[in-house]
Amino acid sequence: MPTTEFHMTRRAALGAAIVASAAGLAVRARAATEIEMFFPVPVQGKLATEMQRLVGLFNTQHPDIKVTPVYTGSYDDTNFKTRAAIQAGRPPAAAIMSANFIREYVIDSAAIALDELIAKDGGTPQGFMAEFWPALALNATDHGRVYGVPFQNSTPLLFYNVQAFKDAGLDPDKPPVTWQDWVDAARKLSKPGADKWGIAWPNSYDYCGWLASTLAMANGGQYYDTAYGGQVYYTEPATVAALRFIHDLVHTHKVMPPGVLDPNGTTAAFFSGRVGMILLSTGALGFIRDNMKQPFRVAFVPKNVVNAAPVGGGSLIIPAGNSPERQAAAWTLIKWLTSPEIAGQWSRFTGYFAPNRAAYDLPEMKQYMAANPNAGVALEQLNRYGRGWFATYKTVPVRKAMEDQVQAILNTDISADAAAARAQSDADALLRPYLEQTALKLPV
Amino acid sequence: MLPLLGLVAAAAAALVWAVPFAWMVTASLRPGVPADVAALWPAPPLGFGNYLDAWQSGDFPTWYLNTVLVCGGILAVQLVTVTMAGYAFARLRFPGRDVVFVLFLLQLLLVPTLLIAPNLTTIVALGLYDRLPGIMAPYFASAFGAFLMRQAFRAIPRDFEEAAMLDGAGVFALIRHVLVPLARPSLIAFAIVSVTFHWNEFLWPLMAVSSPSRQVLTVGLASFASGSEAGGEWGVLAAGTVLVGGPLLLAFLVFQRRFVSSFVFTGLKG
Amino acid sequence: MPRQRAGTLRIRARPWLLLAPSLVFLLAFTYWPLVQVLEGSFRDQAFGSVASWGIGNYTRLLADPHFGRAAWNNVLYAAGTIVPSVLLALGFALALRETTLFTMAARTLVVLPLLIPLVAAAALFTFVFLPGEGLLDWYLGPFGLRAVNWLGSPSLALGAVCAITVWKNTGSYMLAGVPQELLDAARIDGARAVARFRHVTLPMLGPTFGFVLPIALVNALVQVDQVVTVTQGGPSDSTNLLLYYIYQQAEQNHDAGLAAAATVIGVAALLVLTMASLRTMERGIHYES
Repeated sequence: MPTTEFHMTRRAALGAAIVASAAGLAVRARAATEIEMFFPVPVQGKLATEMQRLVGLFNTQHPDIKVTPVYTGSYDDTNFKTRAAIQAGRPPAAAIMSANFIREYVIDSAAIALDELIAKDGGTPQGFMAEFWPALALNATDHGRVYGVPFQNSTPLLFYNVQAFKDAGLDPDKPPVTWQDWVDAARKLSKPGADKWGIAWPNSYDYCGWLASTLAMANGGQYYDTAYGGQVYYTEPATVAALRFIHDLVHTHKVMPPGVLDPNGTTAAFFSGRVGMILLSTGALGFIRDNMKQPFRVAFVPKNVVNAAPVGGGSLIIPAGNSPERQAAAWTLIKWLTSPEIAGQWSRFTGYFAPNRAAYDLPEMKQYMAANPNAGVALEQLNRYGRGWFATYKTVPVRKAMEDQVQAILNTDISADAAAARAQSDADALLRPYLEQTALKLPV
Repeated sequence: MLPLLGLVAAAAAALVWAVPFAWMVTASLRPGVPADVAALWPAPPLGFGNYLDAWQSGDFPTWYLNTVLVCGGILAVQLVTVTMAGYAFARLRFPGRDVVFVLFLLQLLLVPTLLIAPNLTTIVALGLYDRLPGIMAPYFASAFGAFLMRQAFRAIPRDFEEAAMLDGAGVFALIRHVLVPLARPSLIAFAIVSVTFHWNEFLWPLMAVSSPSRQVLTVGLASFASGSEAGGEWGVLAAGTVLVGGPLLLAFLVFQRRFVSSFVFTGLKG
Repeated sequence: MPRQRAGTLRIRARPWLLLAPSLVFLLAFTYWPLVQVLEGSFRDQAFGSVASWGIGNYTRLLADPHFGRAAWNNVLYAAGTIVPSVLLALGFALALRETTLFTMAARTLVVLPLLIPLVAAAALFTFVFLPGEGLLDWYLGPFGLRAVNWLGSPSLALGAVCAITVWKNTGSYMLAGVPQELLDAARIDGARAVARFRHVTLPMLGPTFGFVLPIALVNALVQVDQVVTVTQGGPSDSTNLLLYYIYQQAEQNHDAGLAAAATVIGVAALLVLTMASLRTMERGIHYES
């Protein structure tokens, strides 16, 4: 039980401390299972320090397990390091893996299915996943088997500068709902000659693909095959039109600055008032809250056909190659980290959602949500409009096939059709080996 | 007229060269997020808050320790291998010498970083993945050092060697007690170049090590800067950069002449 | 065994004993890897199927637009870093050759960047190149260059990356590449300066650049730290370099075959380009001034 959120009387606290240390002394006679957990920090903020604190808490409460938290950079870096460690025969016992990479771990048999561990606790895969928001199951399971336990999740969110809205004659209580509203509002906020823009968002690798899929889905598109890692739909009309929308924002309506911004460049521009509206992960809500000096609010990502918000975020996996003792220790850690109380704490600190639905029934969470309407908006978008995160065979290069084209659109006046066709053909070449071993392998 | 113009142009260019450093020092001393982050001259309020933040957000003590261990370990082994190889090339004639010479020569070009993919496999096979010696191993032989020592030893008059050999000294004793002390300037020059290079190396340590407890300064700085802890806090980033580059810069400013002559020296002029 | 023969054996073995430690490491980390990449580049292993021998990796490599782009970018990168940094190094060395406090201070400023890691330089330059608030945009704003996204625009990003490398390398080329005799002999006396440059200065530089140039070429292949940490090859592949491509194939795409083939091509290109300078290098090492 997390001790930080309870009020204990002094005497009770002292008593508990004595008992705990006595118990600790007794248990320390038996060696603790030592495991490491790789974790990424994919958004801005002091998350690594907070994670160290949480793991320290776990270690205190579980004297028979000693977890070393290992900060491994971005989601992409964490993926490489985990893979390298598996190959070198020294896999971590647990890792927080970007949810869209789990499919590849399944394809490559690099992570174990958690069904047996769930069964040992007396549960079923369906029952287990029912604890979490429905949209999260798309990336955490593969054909009904559970591979990842959601730890932190996000969706893109529209952040807007209240003061800039007022100055431009817009009503801060009525953020844009459709793409038309969005462009209209952006036009009022933009003064290209004065380096003032209506819209911007990060388009560096990973963020770019995530937000491109968001817009494609908001335009009614599928973007990728959620059930099978061998197909992507870059040239479906809805996706091509979404690319055209991005093109128009920069070259026609001139409300988005040309060029690729990374997350730091985007938030710097938002903080300084250069940009009035940005799309950013809810995981950065805490960071924006701490650094935005002017008042801001959040809203759903505007829709053209449907509201859609693909999830981002990470789930805990147990890489292949770990002994049963390590697996068991990792499972204890995973259950603790994804419990309603801890998930709630992490959520309040970062701005990520607590994937565990029960977290939102706890009193601390209710208080927090009442005091932070922004967090409530994000949660509602997830609940109503959450979608899966792009995941295929060789996710990273297939994702980059589209990202390179989007980055090109942001910089030069190339047509959306040409860009989409190029992305699709690059992706097809990458997916071909997998297709040949699966869908294209017909009986002889 | 022309020299004066050249001087002025060079001075202006040198000032431009200094701009990033000026910003680095200035930004690191201004805590918080000032409106003019791009200022090049420190203006109050000043403070060391950024350094504290950087220190806490990163794991500098570990990074310093690992970097010192790696640079020291590499240098220690290099000093042995390059003096021995240098002597062999300087004084000894043996069949196959030209072939071996070319093997060494090519290593100047075929640097370990270029062969990063297969070297990683070798390290894993040797069980050195994610271990500090794994970072060090590819550099234990240094053609550059061998050639430098060759040049240095050849410059020593033969009288010294002949005297020592008359006294009955073996080769290893000869190298250790006679030649090395006489070639000290070259050794120091080599040490400075080697430490500078390995202190600043990034891609190979990045790939050879994954645990944070074994990371070196450059890898630590990269994770610190490109990720999220620094996110947009430019003052903290600047302070972190000072902490990483500081030691060598400080050493340079104190031992300036040594450093400069090392790099000039090792130009292997011919 | 008669004493004489034992002695001869010991003498014969001596050079090999002395060279053994170096050779062990050279073989393990330079020449064995070469064999490994050569072999790996001819091992074709697609998803789920068995390995076979052939030139499959090379065909895939040459068909991969990312590789072509990375190779071409690297050529541009080499030219865009070597030429400016060498010219600047020359210029600085000549203009600041007197030993006054002033010139020494100026030379120090130029030399400082070689002491910090390239990733540190890259970190500093992310701020230099930050759109809007960064150093360049902030100070050049009044001159009309207000909101240029240096690192976010495919046409500018590679140039920006070159700038970081030039800033870092010029100092070391200035120190290691310009011989003192040249500086001593340089006397600008009017109209004869040009003739003097062509007939005296340039030949003097020959041997030195015979050495600096191959090293500079190696650097152009190997200095990709800023791409790894700042641009990741983007935007749109515009800063993809050969070693970064190799790193991506090995680490991100788990495609060992492509990584090996690309390494072979890189090494071959390097050796071919430096073949001419190898002779000069060898001469430079064999003879002292």
